[in-house]
Amino acid sequence: MMQTLARYVRLYLVQAWFAYRALFAWSTPFNYFVSKFGFSFFSMVLFVFMGRFVGLTDPVYIVIGNILLIPATNGVSGISMTVGNERQFGAMSYLLGSPAPRPPLFLGRALFHILDSFVTVAVALPVAILLFRLDTSETNFALVLLCVLVTSFTTSGMGFLMGSVSLVNRDGWMITSTLSLSLFILVGANFPVESLPEFLQTVSYSLPMTRGIMAARAALGGADWAAIAPLLAGEVLVGMFYVALGYGMFRVLERRSMVAGTLDNL
Amino acid sequence: MNARWLRLFWRQVDVQLRIRTFDPYSLLLFFLQPAIFSGVGMVLSRAAGQAQPDLVYTVIGGGMLGMWSGLVFTSTFDITRDRRDGTLELIVASPTSLAMVEAVRTFTNVVAGLASMAAAVAAAVFLFDYPLASVDLPGALVSLGMIVFGMWSIGVFLANFPVWSRITGSYVEFLEIPVALVCGFMYPIGILPGWMQAISTAIPIRWALEALDTALLGTGGIEYYLRQWGMALALSLLFWGLAHWLGLKIHDRIRVSGEMSAI
Repeated sequence: MMQTLARYVRLYLVQAWFAYRALFAWSTPFNYFVSKFGFSFFSMVLFVFMGRFVGLTDPVYIVIGNILLIPATNGVSGISMTVGNERQFGAMSYLLGSPAPRPPLFLGRALFHILDSFVTVAVALPVAILLFRLDTSETNFALVLLCVLVTSFTTSGMGFLMGSVSLVNRDGWMITSTLSLSLFILVGANFPVESLPEFLQTVSYSLPMTRGIMAARAALGGADWAAIAPLLAGEVLVGMFYVALGYGMFRVLERRSMVAGTLDNL
Repeated sequence: MNARWLRLFWRQVDVQLRIRTFDPYSLLLFFLQPAIFSGVGMVLSRAAGQAQPDLVYTVIGGGMLGMWSGLVFTSTFDITRDRRDGTLELIVASPTSLAMVEAVRTFTNVVAGLASMAAAVAAAVFLFDYPLASVDLPGALVSLGMIVFGMWSIGVFLANFPVWSRITGSYVEFLEIPVALVCGFMYPIGILPGWMQAISTAIPIRWALEALDTALLGTGGIEYYLRQWGMALALSLLFWGLAHWLGLKIHDRIRVSGEMSAI
């Protein structure tokens, strides 16, 4: 029993490290930073000026929202790529042919992306607080960090789902990119979810990050654990649902590929 | 000579348009991404208490973003794809120069991007009742032509970088949002700080875009247009010159190092 558990943990960690290195290790540090921050940072500045143009003079809401959205870069795009690239680089058949247990093999791909996005937000947020001279006298920093960690985890569910989609669809990356972009509208990064039309609010609350971002904003404003606990609980539930859906889809596709022998040939 | 050139031009436009049409990524670049950015602008307007979004900047500006994003990514993707598929050497070694191939490809990509602008204008007119009566149509059309010419010149200039090396090419993609930011695709450039406006003076799109926005609002005079178009034209020609110079440099480098498929 203990031996099996140790094997699972070892496989999970090895898989996690190699999947992360495979995505970023070949890159130069400059390329890594630009790919992580480039689009997010300049989009945020663009939204700040769009907001200023329409009459929103305080950019803080947009800045904080976009920083809290950073985990989506790792969680959705990064994880989706680590799964989807297996097929593109011809490694899928080896993966499916290996006797390794699937949960650590599949779920391990998220670990370093979760840690990476957590550290990124944990660094970017204080910088924004200093730059914009935010009043943090009431902020509960431990709760803010907890919210960021939870959000980093929950976005990974969407990454697993999109990664599985990429395995069966050659244009999976296009779908993933569209989804990532639509988060600018849907999860309350640039404006409160209540500003959206009603049907989009329903979509918004069925996505990871929405409640996490709301909870982080509340914690930044000084809310205590009792106030944000329901939001975080909802965030974890939504995230778990997406992780289960992504993993379930991967297993279904794996079984189908064994029968039809198609997964690596698309 | 002319017939041969026209045939070559047409064949390449035809192939390139087919590639763009069958590539779903074009859908994202030309339509979905601009729609999402316009959507953010619309909801921000609503959150700011405005009953209707600004149609020139928020809606039609989205079309401009689509044209630009499409150009930046397609110009680099085409070369990257050639490198990956092993056809870059064949193109470089063919009697038709790489500059010529890139010029026609980029032209097609920019023209294809007009679909994004058309969709944005259609959305403004049919969904939001944008009043066309106030638009200075000749001014708008000439300005749009200047934008196409300016984007074409920048696209050909940028297309040299992925030929130079794979890693350099990947940096080109990151110009997408910064250029949209400093050129004021989705807001009047006057709201930017002075140093950002100063950067954009070197980009031909900025001048033509200002003229287009003015024409859409119907508030420009001929002197204003001539100044804007003159700047756009001069800067576009400068980019053409730079693209030519860079192209020669890169060709020399490829011949000397022979490392094209390896870098």
